[in-house]
Amino acid sequence: MSTPTRQRVLQHLDHVGLLQPAIHKETHAPSPDEITNDQYRAYTRTVHDVGGERDVPITWEEKEEEIWEHNTFVTCEVLAWRGVWNAEERRRRQNVDVGQTVYLGLPYYGRWLLTAALILVDKQYVTLSELHEKIDEVRKRYE
Amino acid sequence: MSKPHYDREHHVKKATGIGDPQCFKGEAGTPKYQVGDKVRIRDLPDVFYTRTQTYTRGCTATVVRLVYETPPAEDEAWDNTENVEWMYSLLFKQKDLWPEYADTFAQDTLETEIPEHWLEPA
Amino acid sequence: MADKHKPAPMVDEVSEFEILELAVRELAIEKGLFTAEDHQAWTEYMHTLGPLPAARLVAKAWLDPEYKKLCIEDGVKASLEVGIDWINQMPTKFGTPSDYCNLRVMADTPKLKHVVVCTLCSCYPRPILGQSPEWYRTPNYRRRLVRWPRQVLTEFGLQIPEDVEVRVVDSNQKTRYIVMPERPEGTEGWTEDQLTEIVTRDCLIGVAVPKPGKTANDPRPVRKALKPYSH
Repeated sequence: MSTPTRQRVLQHLDHVGLLQPAIHKETHAPSPDEITNDQYRAYTRTVHDVGGERDVPITWEEKEEEIWEHNTFVTCEVLAWRGVWNAEERRRRQNVDVGQTVYLGLPYYGRWLLTAALILVDKQYVTLSELHEKIDEVRKRYE
Repeated sequence: MSKPHYDREHHVKKATGIGDPQCFKGEAGTPKYQVGDKVRIRDLPDVFYTRTQTYTRGCTATVVRLVYETPPAEDEAWDNTENVEWMYSLLFKQKDLWPEYADTFAQDTLETEIPEHWLEPA
Repeated sequence: MADKHKPAPMVDEVSEFEILELAVRELAIEKGLFTAEDHQAWTEYMHTLGPLPAARLVAKAWLDPEYKKLCIEDGVKASLEVGIDWINQMPTKFGTPSDYCNLRVMADTPKLKHVVVCTLCSCYPRPILGQSPEWYRTPNYRRRLVRWPRQVLTEFGLQIPEDVEVRVVDSNQKTRYIVMPERPEGTEGWTEDQLTEIVTRDCLIGVAVPKPGKTANDPRPVRKALKPYSH
């Protein structure tokens, strides 16, 4: 089934498979003439959409769960139970809104956790200053 | 948030004792497609969010089940639940999805769910 | 340069994840978004979860063709007979937010083998199967299974014959899936309990098939937690 759409789809999958988290030493916000439409689509894609990207075999592993990972999962479910978000909103925020670098760069529940923090701020239940103060206060408990 | 009379528990209240997607049953109207129909996945923009996988776009598939009614993910991801659609389970031939898929395994398939507004008759 | 002389982080050093997790949970409770009791209730619900109910569902279906039909037609209703209520069993009374309430049981035949993936995240039928394994969540599994399923299955030790159709199920919306594998030879006359034991988690995802005498997933490396949560 080779149509222009299918060709674009397959090219796109090859293209975005090459995007990896990177720490850039210099920023390079390009001028508009340096961005092709293909590149625009790659940059603005929904980063969770990885089906069909090329990759090499890895060792399949099991993993023990950290206490904070368990607590994060429960917090996210309970936030939905109490109507702070619905599951689709959670999936969008933690799998797409975070961007490619965080998506592939942080642990699975690391994304859940950052997203749970941000929803409190975005929906104005907590101000960002309050969140910062709270993080600082919790950190000091361990010093 | 910006909708008038926003009640953050509106979904909780609607789904309690019923379940989700059951709580949207009967809201999508008459389904446009039936089991056995051939459809093609539209190549809509996907900026910001979708759950219609890129690898399905422009490909044809067969409807194998009308699974439930629900707001599409693109709406529900911002808590918009007014427009409810039929969700279809579709069967793709792997050889239609992937040009390199071996002829030896021409019988292999893939099943996934796509909401009605992403489909057109094939 | 100074970094070179810093001591290596100690295992008991608190991580930024731990700090943020505590901060978020405490703030949500202080602001009245949920209570500590809510959090505890969900934790206790999580303790009840595992793959056993799904294994029993398959074993029952092997023994009862009418029940098998119900499984294929209405997985949520069939789950009730193995003690799983997808809607009312959770503290919410509307199912778990992340797993919704629409289970489909994908029945293998001698000519059809199902295997499940969620390419967009890692959707998984937690109410009947427990928490997903780490490998199921990796971008690698999600990238490759939809396109190279036979190769990936081979890596899990499963060779599917040429004349069998491999059907990948991509769990992308609100439905959750378990695979009902074929009942293996050598189990004639077995009880439901005996059959349940050989339906492992991996069989229910579709990356393994049941065998008499095999009651555990294939051994794999286990990544240790620094501060493990004990279920």
